[in-house]
Amino acid sequence: MNKKGILFLAFFGVALLFAQTVSNLTEFKANIKSNKSEAKKEIRPYLYDGYKTTYFNYKTYKQVKEVEIYLFNNTEYRLAFNGKSAPKNVKVKIYNADKTNKNRILLKELSNVSGKNTVIQTKDLNTAYKSVNKKASRLKRVFVNYEIPATKGANNSKPKIEDRGAVVLVMGYKN
Amino acid sequence: MIKRKTIFGALVMGITMLFSSCEGEPTIDEGLDVIDSDTLVDENFEDMFESPDVDYHLPSALQVASIFKKSGMAYNTGVINSTENSSDYTTQIQQMLNFGVYSADLAYCVTNDQSNEARQLIAVIKELADAQGMSAVFDNKDLMDRFDMNLEIQDSIEVIMVEIHERTEEYMEENDMTHTSAVHYAGAWVEGMYLGVYDFEHSDDNENVGSQIIEQMEILKNIVKGLKDPKNEEYDVKWVITDLENIQSVYDNFESVIAFDNDESAIQLTLTEDEFASIASLIKDVRAKMVNA
Repeated sequence: MNKKGILFLAFFGVALLFAQTVSNLTEFKANIKSNKSEAKKEIRPYLYDGYKTTYFNYKTYKQVKEVEIYLFNNTEYRLAFNGKSAPKNVKVKIYNADKTNKNRILLKELSNVSGKNTVIQTKDLNTAYKSVNKKASRLKRVFVNYEIPATKGANNSKPKIEDRGAVVLVMGYKN
Repeated sequence: MIKRKTIFGALVMGITMLFSSCEGEPTIDEGLDVIDSDTLVDENFEDMFESPDVDYHLPSALQVASIFKKSGMAYNTGVINSTENSSDYTTQIQQMLNFGVYSADLAYCVTNDQSNEARQLIAVIKELADAQGMSAVFDNKDLMDRFDMNLEIQDSIEVIMVEIHERTEEYMEENDMTHTSAVHYAGAWVEGMYLGVYDFEHSDDNENVGSQIIEQMEILKNIVKGLKDPKNEEYDVKWVITDLENIQSVYDNFESVIAFDNDESAIQLTLTEDEFASIASLIKDVRAKMVNA
């Protein structure tokens, strides 16, 4: 095979790889949109307030990503988690304080949201909070922690599409 | 030989065009030598971004208006930012901030059944969205038609407002503009606080509204954090950050706030009259700077 032929094959291989990655990324983005729609249905009949997609790449070490959510007086909320774009066991832990607070209270744990929709209500979080802190009246905010497991063979600096993940959180409130 | 070269070149160009059009990225330069796997991986890598380790979700303008309404806040005629001011907003920062201001006003009017005002507000919000290159959010005749048809039906108009909010969120995310939503939000927050402060100062039964104003202070830190996103440096946001940080600092140093934070058994934070007057004055000042072009 001459030099041009080798060059062509090399280019063709890289181009194919690129096309596959682009295609996978496009599919990933489309899935996120669909995940959001599904989660939105789960908060009904509460009124949609917004969504937060937490994107991550699985790495060789465990990661924790945190999202702060405000809860206002006399308002009941639903939080719908869609983990269908998180292929490997993602754990959700909800606390009353951020991760710098060593005394924070674990209010709820969802052992694995990957591949499914899970809905929780803030009245349950308030009950859990008040059962531990008897003097407390209610939660003013909660901190959702996503525990993303360590993944063998992941490329930490240049992640591959197969190590890409996301959890979509849709918020709704009772009007 | 020439024929083989032509076929080869056409094939390479065809593949290149196919892939570049898939992603909507700039095309790769002509010739084989400039294409290497590192370049391709780096381009992909931009799409492999990760969310920050610490993030937040801010409540929608409609939820904030709904909470204030439930706390007993009345509708006060003539307090919202006049829609006639919209043509004065010619700079990017004015357009962004007042997009937020008018969004809060719209939520306030919708939750208080003020359909005429709501119609005028949605028109100026659309204009400001167009001015910021966000025409696609309202580029749906059906959406605007439904808004007009349902103006008198509060539940329906709220659903349409939610749809507009959702379209805005998605547009921002898809176009890598989530940083600018912090600027919109700053305008909406200030306007929401201004409406609350106005009601508090002009109503005898204002205890619950006062509590809601205090609750809304909780989210200010994250609004400032969002404004400080390096991508917002291209806009004139420094004065907004300074003013909002000043409000936060004054609030954090109130004796009532310090006492509340240090008392784990404290349930309800109440500001003294002087403290409330102080925070109200700062809110009114920053609101005036935002709406008076």
